[in-house]
Amino acid sequence: MSYTRLVVANLLRNKLRTAFTAGAITLAVVLVCLLLTMPAALDRLLESAASDVRISVHHKAGLVYSMPESFARKVRAVDGVEAAAGMVWYGGAFEESGKVTFPNFAVEAEHIEAVYPDYPIKPEELADFVKYRDGALVGRQVMDKYDWKVGERVSLTSTIWPANLDFRIVGVVEDPQAPLFWFNRKYLDQALESQFGQGLGIMGTIWVRASDPSMVGSIMQTIDDMSRNSEAETASETEKSYFANFFGSLQGFIRIILLVTGLVTLCIIFIAANTASMNVRERSGEIAVLKAIGFARRSIFGALFGEVVLISSLAGLLGLLLSIGLTTSLRNFAGNDGLGPMSGFILTGPVVVQGLFLSLFIGMLAGVVPSIGAARKPVAVALREIF
Amino acid sequence: MDAPMIDVRHVSRHYLRGGDDVHALDDVSLSIPAGKFVALMGPSGSGKSTLLNLISGIDRPSSGEVIVSGQALPDLSEDELARWRARHVGLIFQFFNLIPVLSALENVALPLLLTDLGKAERRERAETALRVVGLEDRLDHFPATMSGGEQQRVAIARAIVTDPDLIVADEPTGDLDAKNAEAILDLLRTLKKGFGKTVVMVTHDPRALRFVDDAHHLDKGLLLDDDAAERASAALHASMGPGPRTTEVEP
Ligand SMILES: Nc1ncnc2c1ncn2[C@@H]1O[C@H](COP(=O)(O)OP(=O)(O)O)[C@@H](O)[C@H]1O
Ligand SMILES: [Mg+2]
Repeated sequence: MSYTRLVVANLLRNKLRTAFTAGAITLAVVLVCLLLTMPAALDRLLESAASDVRISVHHKAGLVYSMPESFARKVRAVDGVEAAAGMVWYGGAFEESGKVTFPNFAVEAEHIEAVYPDYPIKPEELADFVKYRDGALVGRQVMDKYDWKVGERVSLTSTIWPANLDFRIVGVVEDPQAPLFWFNRKYLDQALESQFGQGLGIMGTIWVRASDPSMVGSIMQTIDDMSRNSEAETASETEKSYFANFFGSLQGFIRIILLVTGLVTLCIIFIAANTASMNVRERSGEIAVLKAIGFARRSIFGALFGEVVLISSLAGLLGLLLSIGLTTSLRNFAGNDGLGPMSGFILTGPVVVQGLFLSLFIGMLAGVVPSIGAARKPVAVALREIF
Repeated sequence: MDAPMIDVRHVSRHYLRGGDDVHALDDVSLSIPAGKFVALMGPSGSGKSTLLNLISGIDRPSSGEVIVSGQALPDLSEDELARWRARHVGLIFQFFNLIPVLSALENVALPLLLTDLGKAERRERAETALRVVGLEDRLDHFPATMSGGEQQRVAIARAIVTDPDLIVADEPTGDLDAKNAEAILDLLRTLKKGFGKTVVMVTHDPRALRFVDDAHHLDKGLLLDDDAAERASAALHASMGPGPRTTEVEP
């Protein structure tokens, strides 16, 4: 016979009730753990969408302003730059006159492969893209929208440049997310040159690929320094931050997650506290007798409080194990390439610690009021209530 | 003659109940020598439990002195009182209130958690106490599998396991049939005779008079003197007696 035995025996007294309470706490810990992995998962999502070595360089004043053509060459010479491809907005409309229904750019075709090695493009199609002056690389989305096939010819009417061009589709970018139409910059350049005696001369955006993620910061700094006080000052940003704008305010989202976490916790504290007070009420006879026998307030409190904290930490532990199992199988389900939003559900050390503290916290808050109430009641009053 | 085991001097206990001042006990004085088996009797609400609670350090008087084995109880703090009870008093109640998820042996061993005895010794003492009440073959049984009389005997074992000088019992036979009640009364008398305990028992039960050394009668918070007690006792017997009494004359 020991205090531990007393606490454990009490836990097993009403197994169904204990199981329900433990189940509620377990689920809460699972829910909170999964919620807490969400911000990390979002981050992973961004990272999988955006390369962490790609930088966009554009005019400080905005995307519609341009930089001199020669700037691309200067950028390629910057330390740590692996490749760079300049792009110019063509603003071409297909069929519906004057309406641009997909983004189309005149790009430096020979640099595309080096800047976008991660893009799903067939090598032979990339080679054709460089080889044929009128070749175009088209995103899967656009291909499907107009039911185009590789080898088909299409013509676009530019809303910006006085040059309407015919293209031959030489390849597809198999990315369902990106509506895209790339063609060779030289094609537009020569069309303008032959008509007006003057080529393109400008760059809209230069996409840069760094040799190493650690170089990204210094490259952006060097490029922006290079253009300072020139007519076209640039602003560089990582592809990730460029895309992050599409996800809106991540902070607001995280705040909602934390709010939900808090409410779930509060809800479970009430449930557990309710169980604890039910237990105390049910055992008022024994508790009164224990007091009369000489158990001090501290011992009574300890036994009741210990019981609630024990059950909640055990339930919390179970919840953590379940969360780990769940996130692991989610990741396995997402596939071996480790991409996709599911792969972001990683139960990090801090989240595990938070889950453990959460269950302790639930137990202590739920247990403290009923236990103090039972412990503080004068023994004579407690006895009279039962007889 | 030594100082009495229990010395109650001019004790009153008032309760405030909805603005009323309830005199549960009014200027009661009583002394009980060591080694006696004493009954406190009286109608319901006469203050028996209140007096017993004061004697066992469960409650405090509104005024007056309660001295038990030389210790003035009102001087002790709440926690000191708890410790004092654990060491000096064994308590038995009408309802046994054993912990249903603990075995008989574990229930009996509970008060020993408050001592610094080792585990083996706690077990040994609990076994001894259960042997005294005749339940040595029921050690591992749980309360639900025992009869009321057996449960009360477990409760008695729990009361004596710490070897207290004083045993107090509040209507210990109130929830038992006649046969079990007699067995319990006999057991309490054995505790006095065989182990030298002082036993104070609250009871309604006139049969108890056969077992006790002395009976005190309470009525409306007052302790009756011997004459009044005689009459009260006679009346009690009359109400329980084996047949109509023809010679009884009311004054
Ligand atoms: N805590 C309390 N509050 C108010 N009144 C009480 C309290 N305890 C006892 N009383 C009153 O004191 C009187 C004596 O009670 P008690 O000692 O329990 O009587 P008995 O045990 O003889 O039946 C009763 O009228 C009871 O209602
Ligand atoms: Mg009573």
